[in-house]
Order: sequence, then C-alpha cells, then structure tokens
Amino acid sequence: MKTIVCRCEDVTLDDVRHALALGFRDLEEVKRYTGLGTGPCQGKECMALCGFILAERGCVPVPFTTRPPVAAVALGTLARGDEEG
Amino acid sequence: MSDRVPDCTVFLDGSAVRAVAGEPVAVGLWAAGVRVLSRSVKYHRPRAAFCLAGHCGACLMRIDGQPNVKACQTALREGQRIEHQNSWPAGEHDLLGAADAVFPRGMDHHTMFTSPRAANALLRKMVHRLGGLGRLPERGGELAALPSGRRRKVDVAVIGAGPAGLAAALTCAQDGKRSVVVYDEQDRPGGSLLSHPRFGIAAADALAAEARAVGVELRCHAAAIAWYPEDDGGLLAIDDGGVLTKLTARRYIYATGSYDVNALFENNDRPGIWAARAVGLLATRYRVKLAGRTAILGDGAYAHALAEALASAGSNVEHLASERVLRARGRLWVSGLDLEGGRRVRCDRVAVAAVPAPASELARQHGAAVELRAKGGGFACLVDGRGATRVDQVYACGDVCGFVGVEAARAHGHSVGRAVAESLA
Amino acid sequence: MSLPRETDVLIVGGGVMGLGIAYHLAKNGVRDVVVLERSYLNYGASGRNGGGVRMQWSTETNIRLMQESIELCKRFAGELKINIWLRQGGYLFLARAEAERARMERNIALQNRCGVPTRLISPAEAKRIVPELEVSELVCAAHNPRDGIVFPWPFLWGYANQAAARGVAICPFTSVERIVPTGAGFRVQTSRGEVRAQRIVNAAGAWSPEVAKLVGIELPNRPHRHEILSTEPLKPFLKPMVSLLSSGLYFSQSMRGEIVTGISVEDHDDGHVKMGSRLQFLTKVARELVRVMPRLSQVKVLRQWAGPYDVSPDGNPIVGEAPSVPGFYLCCGFVGHGFMMAPVVTKYYGEFLAGSARPAFFDPWRPTRFAEGTLVKEEMILG
Repeated sequence: MKTIVCRCEDVTLDDVRHALALGFRDLEEVKRYTGLGTGPCQGKECMALCGFILAERGCVPVPFTTRPPVAAVALGTLARGDEEG
Repeated sequence: MSDRVPDCTVFLDGSAVRAVAGEPVAVGLWAAGVRVLSRSVKYHRPRAAFCLAGHCGACLMRIDGQPNVKACQTALREGQRIEHQNSWPAGEHDLLGAADAVFPRGMDHHTMFTSPRAANALLRKMVHRLGGLGRLPERGGELAALPSGRRRKVDVAVIGAGPAGLAAALTCAQDGKRSVVVYDEQDRPGGSLLSHPRFGIAAADALAAEARAVGVELRCHAAAIAWYPEDDGGLLAIDDGGVLTKLTARRYIYATGSYDVNALFENNDRPGIWAARAVGLLATRYRVKLAGRTAILGDGAYAHALAEALASAGSNVEHLASERVLRARGRLWVSGLDLEGGRRVRCDRVAVAAVPAPASELARQHGAAVELRAKGGGFACLVDGRGATRVDQVYACGDVCGFVGVEAARAHGHSVGRAVAESLA
Repeated sequence: MSLPRETDVLIVGGGVMGLGIAYHLAKNGVRDVVVLERSYLNYGASGRNGGGVRMQWSTETNIRLMQESIELCKRFAGELKINIWLRQGGYLFLARAEAERARMERNIALQNRCGVPTRLISPAEAKRIVPELEVSELVCAAHNPRDGIVFPWPFLWGYANQAAARGVAICPFTSVERIVPTGAGFRVQTSRGEVRAQRIVNAAGAWSPEVAKLVGIELPNRPHRHEILSTEPLKPFLKPMVSLLSSGLYFSQSMRGEIVTGISVEDHDDGHVKMGSRLQFLTKVARELVRVMPRLSQVKVLRQWAGPYDVSPDGNPIVGEAPSVPGFYLCCGFVGHGFMMAPVVTKYYGEFLAGSARPAFFDPWRPTRFAEGTLVKEEMILG
C-alpha cells in the first residue's frame, strides 16, 4: 500500500527511498528523479516533508529553487501586464 | 451548531446538487454528501479536499469550463457547472483506478518497459494518452479583452493577512505616518485565525477592522506571485484579482504563514483525511455539523484546541496524541485507522495536526536565508530580533519564521511591525 | 565518487555532451575517463531546455545530423535502459511575413533533398493540425510530422549510469580551478583535488569560454540567458511543437500535459552565466502565446526557469582539437540546440576520441573558421 509524499504527482515514500538508494542526495535531484514537487502545488505540501526524510538519512537538505510564480497565475493576467492602465 | 440553509443549485457532472451560495465548492459538495472530487494524476487515486486553504492541490476540479480549479477557493453560485477530473466514467467509479493496484508501492517510470521497442512504444502511447489532468479550457480570451497591468509604490508592503501580517501592518501604520498595504490570496483576511476554534471569523474581522481603522489597506484575492530582483531594479508581482500589479515598497514584510502538511502512513491521501486546520475551518468558519467520529492525530497545541472544541460542541472525538498510525482504512473515504500495536480506530474523518511548514518561498526569492527545523515544521526563514532577514528592507514574521501558532504569530507581528516603523522613522 | 588521480580523458561538464561522450568512449573501449560536473547532473542547460528534437534546419550538416539523432533517440530507451519519452508529434513553424515564406521554401527544398518530409502548408491546413491556433495573422507554415519532443533529464542519467557501469568516473559537485599543460598532458586542479589527464574535452556549454581561458584559449561563444515556463497539466490536445519564426516563440505539450513555452528576452549578462527568472519574460511569452492561441488565456503558469544558451557567432557549434593546445578538445557553442544534437554528436565524438575517423561535421564546425572568415550561418535558431 502506498504512503503518499507528494499528492499532486502521486510520489510515494518508496519512490523517494528508491531515489535515495540510486544515489540522489539532495532535494533538487530527488525532485527531478521522482517528480516530487513539480505538480500543481509546486512542493508546498511535500518539500518540507521530503526535507525531513533526507535529513533522517544524513543529507543536509537545502530547499529546491523556488520557481516563480509562487501562486499559479493565468497567462491572461500576464499577457498585457506591461501595459499600464 | 449549523445554520446553513441550501439556497442554490449547482450541477455536478450534470446532476443537481443543493448548496449554500458563497461557500467554497469543496465544502458545499462535501456537506451535500459528495465524497470524491477528482482522481490523482498517475494512479487515479480518489482525491478530496485536504487543506481548504488553496495550497495543496488535492481538490482540483473543472468548474464552469475551466480546468484544475481549486474547489476550496471557488465560491458556489447558482447554476455553476462542476465536473470531476481525470476519472472515467465517474469520480467514484473510475476504471483507470486499476493503475493503483498494478503498482502497489509506487513505480520508477524511468526504467520500466525500456525494451523491447514495441513494448516501449506502447508504454509511451499510453502514458501520453493518460497524461495531464484537466481538459483545455472551454474558452479563452482575445488579447485586447485582457486587463492591463498596474504599478504601485507604497511605504510598507505586507504579504499575508493572517495574525502576524495584520498585527505587523496595524502596528506599523498606527502613527499614521506611512502607507501600509496588506495583500492576501484568500477571500477574506484572517489567515490561521479563521481555522482556530478559539478565534475564528469574529477575531479575524476584529483584527482586520483594527488595521483598517489606522489606515491599513487590505487587499484580498490578491496573491503575491514572486519577487523579481531584476525587473525594474526589483519588484514584487501581485496577481490582484486577475490584474498584474508591479509593487515596490520601502519595506517588505513577509507574513506568509504556513502550509498544512500530511503525516506519513499508508493511504494517508484517502479522502476524509484532512489537515487539522481544515477541520477547524469546517467547524469554525463554515459551521458545518461534523457528524460521526473525528480522529485527531498530533500532540501540538492546535490538536488539543481542536479536540476540545469539537468535544464541547458535542462531536465524537478520538484524540490520538502520540499513537503511531500504520495505515488508513476505507476505499473511497476513510473509515478507520490501524495503529501500531494492533489497535484499530473507527472514524469518519481524520484531522492531521502535523506541524505546518513555513511558507518561506517569497522570502527566499527575496534573499532571506532559511533553515530546516523540525519544531518549526520545515524551512524556516531566519530573522533577527527585529524580524529583519539578511537582506536590507526585508522582514518576516509569524509562522514563516518557523511554525508558532496564532497567538505567538500575532505577538511577533506586533513586534516586527514596531521595528519596521522605527526603521522608517 | 572519489576523484581519480590520473586519467586518459578528462571531460569538463557533466551535461548531455560530456556524459554522452563519456558513454561512447567507454562503449568503444576507452574506460579511463573522468567527467567533472560543477553541480548536480541536470544543473545546466541540459536540465533546463524544452526538449525539442527537429530535422527542420537550414544547413545540410544540421539536417542530416538531426535525422540521425532522432533515429538514435528512438533506440535510446533500449540501449541506455531509461525512458526518454520521445513523441514524434511534428514541428509546425508559422510565418507571419512574406519574407519568411521565401526562407521557408528554400529550407524546405533543402530538407526534402535530404529526405525530410517537410511541407509548406496554408494557414488553414495548420489550423487542421492545431485547431486552437489563431491563424488570421499567418501567411504560411512549415510542417514536418517526424520532428518531436523528448524529456531531457533521463538522457543524462542514462548516459551517466551506463558510462559508470563501464568504469567511467562521474564526479558531480566538482569544479575545475586550474589547468596546466605539461607537454605530455595536463595537470588539472579541481575543487576536490588534482587529476592528471592525457586529454581534456571542454564540454562545459555556456561555461566553456571560462574553461578554455584556463589554457589560454579565447573562445568566441558567449552565454545568453534563455527562459522557459511550464503551465498546469492539461489532457493531451496539442500534437506538434509550434514555433513562430517572427518572434522566436515556441510551445509544445509535454508528456505530463504541461504547455512548455519559451521566447528570447534580451539579457545584459555580459558574458556571465545568469539563471534568474524575470517578469519581463513572463509577460512577453504570455502575450505572444495568447496572441497565437487565445484559448490558453486562462491556463495557469506553474513555474518558470532559465537556462544558458551557449551562443557562437554563426549559430553553429565549435568542435575539435584546439589548434594552439594539443590534447585540448572543444565540444561547445551549440546555441540552444546542443541537447537535440547530443545523441549523434557524442556518438561520433566519442568514437573519434577512441580512435575512429574524424567525423565529417568537424570540418564545418572547426574552431579556426572564425579566424579564416568562412562562416556558414544557421538560420533556424529559435528563442
């Protein structure tokens, strides 16, 4: 049965352990290999959780780069954003 | 407890559902007995709301022809068309859910079926066809009809209208000598006050009124989307109700609070397993009657406050303060928990009171340092005694500096607001 | 991985070029190879590009190499034991100006001669391929159904794993600080100690001018910041990669359903590699995207990032042994299309370093061409 770490991308605790066993050591790499933190919430729910899993295994967790936007934004909000009304 | 009276009709996959207009879709559907809101992307596991705060991505639905809409952040209104996503033929009967059983513990999609070539080609075709979540929006908009942007300059920008942000803003604005604006992505100010049974809407509104009274401008439905260091020498981009605002300020205060996180046990994503603060919102803000039995996991102050409040409202509560949960039971909705040692607890919902994770992304983009702290719930923003980060003009207060809860966050907000006012004096 | 003290070939740069060359060296019997990567694998442009693979180019060299590269992509999963999710949904180039039509016709003729089935099509036909397109501003389009997209990250893991299985030392988080030619090779000072190498391959992408400087070589390529964004995941609807010749906008739908799109925004990075994200990119790409596909206006952006293009003066790569420093090999200047060319380029480069014949593309891409003034410009540069 699955223990879900990243709900958006269906990444399980076993998936994270598998990535660590393959030699991936930091959040950037675990994110890339498992897809964790790349879904609609962009890691809001899972990044700290995964950080603690890494810390338990002796890794020094550094958060993965916070890609803008922090909150999803519609293309239509941006498209004329440079024109000032 | 409940004074909710359904006053509108919405359509879920074409079927009429009676609901309370203005409530979030996720809350209204749940109260009407709808259990599964959508299916997860890979294994088609059932999904329903978890955080009710617009952060977790568990409750995405198709609403009025728009895909991947957060059902917890969208108000119900007469005639609304709501649809399940990523399930076939229906949310509660999804044949693609078979994928969940095929990969019982997870999968490494990188190395599966790499050969022979025919198997690999079939895999690619299937993954492509099943990929994605919501369908393309029904309609878009011509460029000319879209809103143009806006530019704003204020003395103090506060991000987050929770207890810390509101307290910081009102303290900072008290002497009337500077412009202070607070942006919040939610539909009303209050943040974690709204989900706390001892505070709730009344306390949130009182604090907001106090802030407005000293001239603070509160803007809701206005999400700070990023700090851009290179655009125009640095600006904070805000999605202010669909209008892009390029904001610059003399001081920035990040009071972005914390995200709800889940605990790790088997089937921890079952619908009916909510963040404790979401259950707090159901009871406190939305005043929905919590029928049946609520299992509360966690030993923090919030878990105790919630347990006490639910019990005193006559709700059946099982508080598991220190027991280790092995797995959740129930196929489409949680029906119980298996605990270490063999004990089994029957319940109708679970409230997970794990320490929430600091929402430190914006502060990090703005150059603040963070540190992983177990007691603080995650990557906490590092500040000095005045709330100053290592970057000039950038401050942080409340849960973003490590989870502290409502009262301590408010106190921190007051002290940081004072320090910011002094820095501008 | 501990750093070996001596090696035959030292590769600087653990991107797709460096790791691909390492794999092909090892496959061809040269296992005494070390790859140095300053960060984690996928940190640089190899982990940040949009994953397009296309045969639509303006020079015969590029067209023929990309035909072969896509063939190699088809075999990649079987050979390297990792999925790269190749999807041949085609590339659709859109033209808004008559001048672009002439250029398109010329390139299509050349592509057809090489056996690429590109066709010049009308705006109406383009709309049949992508019904959501706004075609009123278009004059024509070029379509090759065999172009496609891949998922970039696994290429690096596949090359790295298979190279390591054959004895190659892959050393992430190791940067090069000093290189001293010794006559019979090089002494290389790294952040994790010294390595002696017989030969060095500079596959450092946008960082390659810095690495070349360590042996006194001034390369003409410069980094350029290129930005990309990715949207919320949508059910598959967009078959080809679509690109506008006039603005350089491109967009495709990934295997995961996200719209991945990029466009070039001027940078003022003065030769430094910078990878910060900018709002001006977001607004520009959103505007161009909504203009050509209004249906996307309410689609939400989930994240944006930047990666460094490694831009050469004529849009073509710089490969081969540096004339002034024997034993120092260049594999750089790929201008944002290195990723798609890597499968074929690294195959021949690796075989060459293992003793096979000098590949034909070494001639047009030789480093001396800039001094000779014999440049052949590649027109089909995007972004």
